[in-house]
Amino acid sequence: MISSILQSLIAQAPTLEELQEQVSLDSAILAETFYFWTVVVMWLIHVGFMAYEGGASRRKNLMSTAMKNILTIAVVTPTFYYFGWYIYGCFQEGWPKSGHASPDALEGFCGASAPWANVMGPNLQDHITGVFFLAFLLFSWTTGSIMSGAVIERIRLSAYLILTAILGSAVWIMDAAWGWSSGGWLVTRFGFHDVIASLVVHGVAGAFAFGVLLNLGPRIGKYTADGAARRFRGHNTHLTLMGLMLIFTGFYGFYAACLVIQSTVFPGWLNIYLSPTTLGSIAWVITFGFAGGFTGGWFASKGDPFWTLSGGLAGVIAVSAGADVYHPSLGYLLAISGGMVAVWSGNYIERKLRVDDAVGAVAVHGVCGFYGVFLVGIFAGGYPTGIENVESSFGGQLMGMMAFLPLAFLPGFGVSWVLKQFNLLRVPPEVELEGLDMAEFQQDFYPEFERVPEIVIEPDGREVDGAPVLLDSYWQATTNGRPGAPVSTGEERS
Amino acid sequence: MFDAFQYDEWGDEIAEFWTFSGGSAGTWIMTVIGFAAMLAAFWGFVILENRKLTHQASRLKASGALDRPASSGMGSSTMGPTA
Repeated sequence: MISSILQSLIAQAPTLEELQEQVSLDSAILAETFYFWTVVVMWLIHVGFMAYEGGASRRKNLMSTAMKNILTIAVVTPTFYYFGWYIYGCFQEGWPKSGHASPDALEGFCGASAPWANVMGPNLQDHITGVFFLAFLLFSWTTGSIMSGAVIERIRLSAYLILTAILGSAVWIMDAAWGWSSGGWLVTRFGFHDVIASLVVHGVAGAFAFGVLLNLGPRIGKYTADGAARRFRGHNTHLTLMGLMLIFTGFYGFYAACLVIQSTVFPGWLNIYLSPTTLGSIAWVITFGFAGGFTGGWFASKGDPFWTLSGGLAGVIAVSAGADVYHPSLGYLLAISGGMVAVWSGNYIERKLRVDDAVGAVAVHGVCGFYGVFLVGIFAGGYPTGIENVESSFGGQLMGMMAFLPLAFLPGFGVSWVLKQFNLLRVPPEVELEGLDMAEFQQDFYPEFERVPEIVIEPDGREVDGAPVLLDSYWQATTNGRPGAPVSTGEERS
Repeated sequence: MFDAFQYDEWGDEIAEFWTFSGGSAGTWIMTVIGFAAMLAAFWGFVILENRKLTHQASRLKASGALDRPASSGMGSSTMGPTA
């Protein structure tokens, strides 16, 4: 009896091959599940950007600001599917083709990243491509959202959508192919190390946005006749701060999605360059990055709420490039410096360069993105990057910075310049003065609340009635044809 | 023991469904149509917004609310900017 039961059980027992197959499948499904949920968490980045920028806008521009963030998803998703992902898969050796083949590129990845490939859709044999594509797509949306805040309150929605499609589906993904992949020429030849995308996402988006801002010009009334910067009050600072906190939450998903897990192929976690790491390593650094960034932002801005929270973002961006390497204490110290750099560079861009970046995106993402890669060259030089263990170095990091600055800035400047020539970049000054929401949506989005006169903060800190300042600026803009040109205040003229 | 549910057999049938096979005519057709729709959407975004902005700017100009007063350079307009 017992013997027959044992024989029956043995007969039903899986073979070693069946067990291996099942473990492999379970591992693939684990990776699939992991990436799917990182994407869910990363959605909060976009919720956060929408709230952040919406709160930073004046009431009259609320919905036009939010709509940019929403329609980023509408345009970057198809463009990234139809050509962005192909760029990542097929341009890792550089473009134009450098002639230096990248043997470390994943075999067959180029063909598998084309939109007509059989893994770019429902496929019962493939558990990874869909979610991996999705994670990268979320990064693409993020680049667009970074630019979005800088250009609010005067850019045309359609111009923004064209620019964000180019940034999200061509520019950033080209630099990711070069410096954020196992086969990228910057990685295999120079040991370029930017593990959580300080430069390849943030720095590049900031540089692109800077190029756009040069053509877009400042908002009407932003600068006085002598070039001093006025400030506009965002209509809801609480919304802005909550948005930043949502971005921070989403960043944990962003960090996790930058790692690779597939336990039947290799025993643990890998970074994007396929170098071993752990989820815990980056968990230390992101958290200490926020702590340091808030601290640096607080002190550099003398306690300004907006810059304190932006400093947290800047701190994390400054340590992201070396997040798999840094000790928490080092991450904390570097993040403090990152928070300070963001405040100082933000003030410099606004007051000295006279570039109107409405939310400090160029400073926080652009400057600190480049700063983060620079720091890796100093504090993580010699770290073996990628599957060929090419040592990271200051020279290699510098090479990446020199490659990515023109790659990002020139398309941003060039495309926005073309749009400007066709008068498709900026809204008409009349519409800007009245507010974009009335033109775009024919309504005010706080209908129960009385509209109050707009307040403008003069460079000396005085709060004044905005109407005369903005109208005077409008008249001069329509006279000399330069919207946003510096104008005098009434007091200066009298 | 892993085949209690006929996943593999049914999966093979499902994999023959046309949208599941890359390189098929259906995949190519859908890709081309989708790409065209994407381009059309961009064109539509530009045209529709330009129409709205032009209309609103013309309306504001015609209203005279933003005209510079003859006697003073300052904002005596009835339609001052609001927050």
